[in-house]
Amino acid sequence: MSNAATTRPNGLALFILPSALLFALFFFLPIGLMALMSVLTGNPVVMPKVAFTTRHYGRMIGDPYYLEVIWTTIRIGLVTTLVALAIGYPLAHWMARIKSRTGHALLLMAVLAPMLTGIVVRTFAWMTLLSDKGVVNQTLISLGLIAQPLKLMYTETGIVVGLVHIYVPFMVLTLTGVIGRIDERLEQAAENLGASPLRAFLEVTLPLSLPGILAGSLLVFALAISAYVTPILLGGFQIMTLPILIYQQISANFNVGFAAALGIVLLVISLLLVIAYNRALGLVSGQRELQ
Amino acid sequence: MSASIEIAGVSKVYDGGVRAVDAVAMDIRQGEFFSLLGPSGCGKTTTLRMIAGFETPSSGAIRVDGADITHVPAHKRDMGMVFQNYALFPHRTVAENVAFGLRMRGLDKATIAAKVKAALAMVELSGLEDRRPAQLSGGQQQRVALARAIVIAPRVLLCDEPLGALDKKLRQQMQFELKQLQKKLGLTLVFVTHDQEEALAMSDRIAVMNGGRVEQVGTPTEIYNQPTTRFVADFIGDTNIFRGERTAAGRSLDVGKGLILALPPTDAHGTGVLSVALRPEKIRIAPRTDAATTAGSSAHGIVENTNFLGGAVLYRVTLEGGHRVLVQQPNAGTSRLFVPGNGVTLEWTPADLVVLKD
Repeated sequence: MSNAATTRPNGLALFILPSALLFALFFFLPIGLMALMSVLTGNPVVMPKVAFTTRHYGRMIGDPYYLEVIWTTIRIGLVTTLVALAIGYPLAHWMARIKSRTGHALLLMAVLAPMLTGIVVRTFAWMTLLSDKGVVNQTLISLGLIAQPLKLMYTETGIVVGLVHIYVPFMVLTLTGVIGRIDERLEQAAENLGASPLRAFLEVTLPLSLPGILAGSLLVFALAISAYVTPILLGGFQIMTLPILIYQQISANFNVGFAAALGIVLLVISLLLVIAYNRALGLVSGQRELQ
Repeated sequence: MSASIEIAGVSKVYDGGVRAVDAVAMDIRQGEFFSLLGPSGCGKTTTLRMIAGFETPSSGAIRVDGADITHVPAHKRDMGMVFQNYALFPHRTVAENVAFGLRMRGLDKATIAAKVKAALAMVELSGLEDRRPAQLSGGQQQRVALARAIVIAPRVLLCDEPLGALDKKLRQQMQFELKQLQKKLGLTLVFVTHDQEEALAMSDRIAVMNGGRVEQVGTPTEIYNQPTTRFVADFIGDTNIFRGERTAAGRSLDVGKGLILALPPTDAHGTGVLSVALRPEKIRIAPRTDAATTAGSSAHGIVENTNFLGGAVLYRVTLEGGHRVLVQQPNAGTSRLFVPGNGVTLEWTPADLVVLKD
């Protein structure tokens, strides 16, 4: 079937040309260049003599500082993903199951509204909330709950709070689509067979929503580890992540080769995750889609 | 052990004031095959869902073996249910689907395995334990749903149009098997359907519903032969309904256009407006004779339409006064078939007329 369809010349195939060009020019070419730069001794545009080298990668592996930065980035990504999932799943479930159209529209608005504001603005808003003289600390102090301000800014916690706020909509929208396609009668069938509502959820809805959990988590994780503005503003350069390090290497140290190598590491982390995602999806869906 | 169900004046009003079910009352006996029959939107599925516990009645009570279960949550009702689309768990195998209810009851593995095996054997699905629902045909999925519901030995088996998605041949076979299984296990079975033939063929008793209310409860023969309301007469099978005023003597009905129908002898004579029903197969059809018609039980007419059904022939006949009547003639092979334009004389027995409540 599919063979016959692909071998026959089809005028409609021309419509893919613009996106193919776009991908080639702005996706494969830059990434290819980045990969190339990561194994060169310098920038061939400004330096006449360049040679191949593995020293950028060697430097990364040899210095615990860089490994620590990579691990911090991954840790922030993981925590952000888990918190976004914990906040997003109940909300997505509510949105997917709500009967009233108005209710659904209001929830959707609530989820989308923050996305209408720029990331920088939202991050500044968090700074006014989280700083030592911010709303949270001042409120807690005036209530007499704490004597000293809690250290919320310039910590990983602060970064995670900001990232979760920005990326929770991606989790919710991905999950809502998947949960909405699960037939409610499956849960009712489980209850009819003696499962409590919680048990019915755990036995039926949760496993059937795994593809959504995986897709939403992948999306949020990939966005969180590549985030730049929020970790800078809420981390104040005290917490170093890969994107910040890459920026520093280019703008302050002019070490394009090392920056490229760090970029490749970021890309490989994401690629490994996509591969793991496909594997996991094949397992949870019992190979059904593949037949 | 199978249970009896008592539905006592149950209503369901949704937000916005829609009355899906309106003061429904019926008693379903232990071991009975009981059908809720009606057009879509008549409240039959809502009634079933209230019995199952997926909807809470706005008023009234539901009792099982005398115990009020109106507010008992669905998972504590111990009822089996076969859903319209089967609602099989797509991520679980056939055996896991059937085992689900047993697992929820905390039975040990060996007992579960034995019961699953027996249930699958009962619905003739042995050997398909490890398939997933998506790999089964519609009929097989239906059997899995049935096995999953009966393996827990429910007090009541609820079926929401379980055979609706099957083709006609398979549906008839499943009707037969379901009925046999129900009798063998002595199950109290509540069966929702919009298919009157299915309800007539399978049920011990039928509740015909319309607009959220119960129109009539009775055995299939009662429902067919003695419909009490106009809706039931019209909904079940083909029928001729006449509406008119009693004549002065009160013994016959003037339905206008020169047609007078003699009322059945059982009718309590009175005055006023009345509807009566006459089944097409209760009318005899013969070539037109010149003899005058017997007042009240025969009429002349012209065949307008002939519909050959195989086992029978259905005619649409226009009477001289203008009434149009359906007449069904059994296809005995010897009788003459009338064609459109033939003059005919129709005859019937007044006792076959059924007086309806409006």
